[in-house]
Amino acid sequence: MTTTTTTTAAPAETVLDARGVTMRFGGLTAVKNVDLTVRSGEIVGLIGPNGAGKTTFFNCLTGLYIPTEGEVRYKGTVLPPKSFKVTSAGIARTFQNIRLFNNMTVLENVLVGRHTRTKEGLWSALLRLPGFHKEEAASREKAMELLEFIGLAHKAEHLARNLPYGEQRKLEIARALASDPGLILLDEPTAGMNPQETRAAEELIFAIRDKGIAVLVIEHDMRFIFNLCDRVACLVQGEKLIEGTAGEVQSDERVVAAYLGEPFEGAPGAEEVAEVEAAEAHAEEDHEAEAPADTPADDTPADDDTPAADSTTSTTTDGEAK
Amino acid sequence: MHELPQQLVNGLLLGSMYGLVAIGYTMVYGIVQLINFAHGEIFMIGGFGGLSVWLLLPSGTSMLLALPLMIIGAIVIATLVAIGAERFAYRPLRNAPRLAPLITAIGLSLALQQAVWAWYPDAKSSVVFPQLPGGPFHLGSVTIQTGDVFLLIAAPVSMAFLGFFVQKTRTGRGMQATAQDPDTAKLMGINTDRIIMIAFALGAAFAAIGAVAYGLKYGEVQFKMGFLLGLKAFTAAVLGGIGNIYGAMIGGLVLGLAETLTTVYVSEIPGMQQLGGQSWGNTWAFVLLILVLLFRPQGLLGQRVADRA
Amino acid sequence: MTSTTTDITTKAATGDGIALPEKAARALATGGGALTVISCFLAWTWTAAYPGNLTVYGYPGGLQWLVLVSGALTTLFGLSSYGIKGLKWLTPGGADAAVKFAALATLWTTLFTAWSISDTLGGLVNLEPGGFVAVAAALATYLGARALPFERPVLDPADPEDSTWEQYKHNARNRREIVKAAYAAKAPAPAKPLPAWAEILVIAAVLGVALGVFTYGITTPYQELFIGFLITAGFGFAALHKAGLIARFTTLTARHRNVALVGAFVAAAAFPLTQTDDQYATLGVNILIFATVALGLNIVVGLTGLLDLGYVAFLGVGAYTAALVSGSPNSPFGVHLPFWAAILLGALASMVFGVLIGAPTLRLRGDYLAIVTLGFGEIFRISMNNMDGKSGPDITNGPNGIAGVPNVNLFGFDFGAAHTIAGFTIGRFANYFLLMLAITFIVVMVFRRSAESRIGRAWVAIREDETAAEAMGINGFRVKLIAFALGATLAGLAGAVQAHVNYTVTPDQYVFANAVPPNSAFLLAAVVLGGMGTISGPLVGGALLFLIPNKLQGMGDLQLFAFGVALIVLMRLRPEGIIPNRRNQLELHKDLEAPTVLSKAGA
Repeated sequence: MTTTTTTTAAPAETVLDARGVTMRFGGLTAVKNVDLTVRSGEIVGLIGPNGAGKTTFFNCLTGLYIPTEGEVRYKGTVLPPKSFKVTSAGIARTFQNIRLFNNMTVLENVLVGRHTRTKEGLWSALLRLPGFHKEEAASREKAMELLEFIGLAHKAEHLARNLPYGEQRKLEIARALASDPGLILLDEPTAGMNPQETRAAEELIFAIRDKGIAVLVIEHDMRFIFNLCDRVACLVQGEKLIEGTAGEVQSDERVVAAYLGEPFEGAPGAEEVAEVEAAEAHAEEDHEAEAPADTPADDTPADDDTPAADSTTSTTTDGEAK
Repeated sequence: MHELPQQLVNGLLLGSMYGLVAIGYTMVYGIVQLINFAHGEIFMIGGFGGLSVWLLLPSGTSMLLALPLMIIGAIVIATLVAIGAERFAYRPLRNAPRLAPLITAIGLSLALQQAVWAWYPDAKSSVVFPQLPGGPFHLGSVTIQTGDVFLLIAAPVSMAFLGFFVQKTRTGRGMQATAQDPDTAKLMGINTDRIIMIAFALGAAFAAIGAVAYGLKYGEVQFKMGFLLGLKAFTAAVLGGIGNIYGAMIGGLVLGLAETLTTVYVSEIPGMQQLGGQSWGNTWAFVLLILVLLFRPQGLLGQRVADRA
Repeated sequence: MTSTTTDITTKAATGDGIALPEKAARALATGGGALTVISCFLAWTWTAAYPGNLTVYGYPGGLQWLVLVSGALTTLFGLSSYGIKGLKWLTPGGADAAVKFAALATLWTTLFTAWSISDTLGGLVNLEPGGFVAVAAALATYLGARALPFERPVLDPADPEDSTWEQYKHNARNRREIVKAAYAAKAPAPAKPLPAWAEILVIAAVLGVALGVFTYGITTPYQELFIGFLITAGFGFAALHKAGLIARFTTLTARHRNVALVGAFVAAAAFPLTQTDDQYATLGVNILIFATVALGLNIVVGLTGLLDLGYVAFLGVGAYTAALVSGSPNSPFGVHLPFWAAILLGALASMVFGVLIGAPTLRLRGDYLAIVTLGFGEIFRISMNNMDGKSGPDITNGPNGIAGVPNVNLFGFDFGAAHTIAGFTIGRFANYFLLMLAITFIVVMVFRRSAESRIGRAWVAIREDETAAEAMGINGFRVKLIAFALGATLAGLAGAVQAHVNYTVTPDQYVFANAVPPNSAFLLAAVVLGGMGTISGPLVGGALLFLIPNKLQGMGDLQLFAFGVALIVLMRLRPEGIIPNRRNQLELHKDLEAPTVLSKAGA
């Protein structure tokens, strides 16, 4: 459960390659010229204070936003600008404030995750063509395997909403894994967890890595991230401050300063955080007016920039709002 | 009669009536993300409220004296109904699944419409609405019917009042805050229940003014008038960018213009002779809605970014 | 420690302070039920002027049959509560709550009958002694049932320092809790599995009874009987539910799904055979059309969570298309395609409109769809009205509609004529009933198969959380468009049959709200009332919503008003509908497992 679990440092293929990603909302730049690469078999951490643009950056990677400048490549190909296409290309994600399909069973949640890797369409379902039962059975088997992997197989028929918090987080990971990703993005996977649960999550993430899936994780819990990650990047005010091994980042005084709240080139004040929030909320509406407006308000104590982006969507339609 | 300036004026007048009703949709939507289907019925009830005042006044009362009283009566009744609906039908469902309040709204709409139909005296068919004296007025080649004069004055005045209210008063600013983020607004000490109620009430008041204008314009009110007008007012709100109060007015004007102009000019397009005229106006308004949703779903004005704190 | 508080609240709850020992209460309820049954063999009134002839000693008539059934049900449940061998299977979920609901059925049906007799004939003097005996027996049953003990919830008394209004609200809440507890039943223990043939026999028997009940409801010849039927059936169903029998049956049907499905359709197909003339078969066809369309709408609303307020217009598109190509004298096209071609064209046209409406709107937030479909429904009607050759192109014959749509002739089988098959005469409407039943079967299969597949899961995922669903790789727009177009297509299918059944297609049949179904508001209500996302829900809801306005002509003017109010109340009290879907059931089940604070405090 320390950094020693790192696997052999074989020359690895680059899974994710973000170059010069910049995201502007109107006059406001939330993410400025960020480069980040993730190689296969790696666990990379992304840290940064409130309003640093971590989740905005995440959303740029997953097709929720289209970056104003720069490009994101997955295994060499530029990512399409739609979140469902990104998933089918091979990047899966979880959400900071858990977004399971509450009224579906645990198994069904994972089966939904299989969506992009299966093909049977309406006709096949209606006519029950020969391929239908075969594919359905294969999906179920795969889904049960994943539930076994996260230790929820015994609850396959429970409703997702009835799971305890920690298991909901796990289920979200299983659902993401169901799409056979080459890279999984975890948005604060341990938010709201107790120390035991956090340790279990750590084990789970190592196990995912051992399956050959690269991991990019946003987290607030420093100890967790420095234990876990092969490399860590720190984002401050939308810019990448430093990237390096856990040790390098940990000892960097600018990171310490940014976290302890010492002024650093005019550290992001509450005002700027609010700006980013407002701009993100607005952008999300522009980009995907179809987004359903029912995000539950975030109540985790680890307040990052996400709750703003997510919970404001649910409510903002900013009236006439002069 | 078919000259362009005249048609433009007609369209703008019709549109400003749509705009007055659209404000209610847009304001409620901006704050609680609810399409208040019953708003069309609130409009209709405003019309009957105004009419009731007229019927209660001694016959022979001068219209100039009666009109202000009728407007007040219309506003009071429409507002009361809207507040009651919000308090007893919508508020308990605020955290319910999204479909629940929409279905409630449909039920409310039917109940209100049928209540008027069943219990308002002689409301089973159109009821005659009193008319302003004088007119029509001629301005160059443009004729303004007497019934439209009220609209000509009421619409800009209402808009100016609304603009003042939203920007300059505490309550108005509270409304903006609630629209942005109800949870935070609550934490900041804004009474969101009260704000939501005010949004419903204000919307109803403007709809009531629109209803009096409707009565004066067409010389009658009917229990059914809320349905189609509500639909078009909503279209106007979407056109202007739902949630945007100024957008509602602009959307109303554009819709009114489009409807009037298509009514008159579509039949002059070769091959479409039979698709013009009054009876197709609604259809064209609807086609416009579809086109807007297709090409500019955020509406003409879009949703404005919030002012930064 | 709770005795004082519960005592106070008990008074509030019961008011009359029925304090009977448990044994006496049970005996009273059971005996009262039996006495009510006997009273049905007495004369209740002196004249046959009241419909149903309740004047005969020794033979029940009309409403008396309903009272008899509910009384018998009470007695059976009562006897079962004594643990009598051979009757225990009646109440796997506990007998007391079932007795209470059965007693309610008895009481209200009897009271309604008595009131209705004196109202129709002018005064209580028109009741014969038998009627009074029945009322007294029903009251005794009810009081006995009411005094049965139940597990009282622990409640906080209202804080005397609160304002009067707050105290009132608190007490009202407590009273509700008590009433809820009084009628609560536990989940039935799982049944011992029977041999498969026995289970299938049980399913067949239950379906037979259901057909009987349904046929009785449809064929009630006068309004009083129908109201009585609704009262008895409503409380009776609740009693069966509380007894745990419904749950037992659901488990059985879940185990033998295909048998149950085929059985249900065989039972439905038997309906026209029970009819000697076409009067009620007409009603049957129209119920079937309405319920089928509601089921199609359930794909859109219940599974995918899209609010379609103009659904009836798709029915209209199908009906108009079929009518136009089927050789009606009003059709400008002058073609007479065979039925299969007409129905396919109807479905296809509906699908095209579904795509035209869906494509621009489904990219946007859900609320836009609601308003656009509402607009489409209205525009459809207006356009059909206009295309009469004067205000627009001459296609639809305007408000008069397309009349004289010829009967269907399929493989030489003329649906317009009566046929005698194996001794049964099947009239025109019975023919169409069977045809429509085939369509219903198709729609049920489409619903079931699509719901239990990759695409169905994607629909539900979209309904639950669209952003998350997209992040799981679901192309939300595409999947929603498929659901919307599929729903439209199914409506078009039903519309094509409807055009032939009713001979005439007019614009006024397809409006948003109207006193007569089908219309969009009623369709939506059928889905919501029945239970979103289920198959049986919209079918039951549709049947009820069609029958009620049809049978209760007396309500006339206030029907739509009542309907609107009912929608509001329904959303407040039971948003999941009569038949909640499996997921909600799971959830309820979970609730029941959860430890709740209860204290035993008998009467």
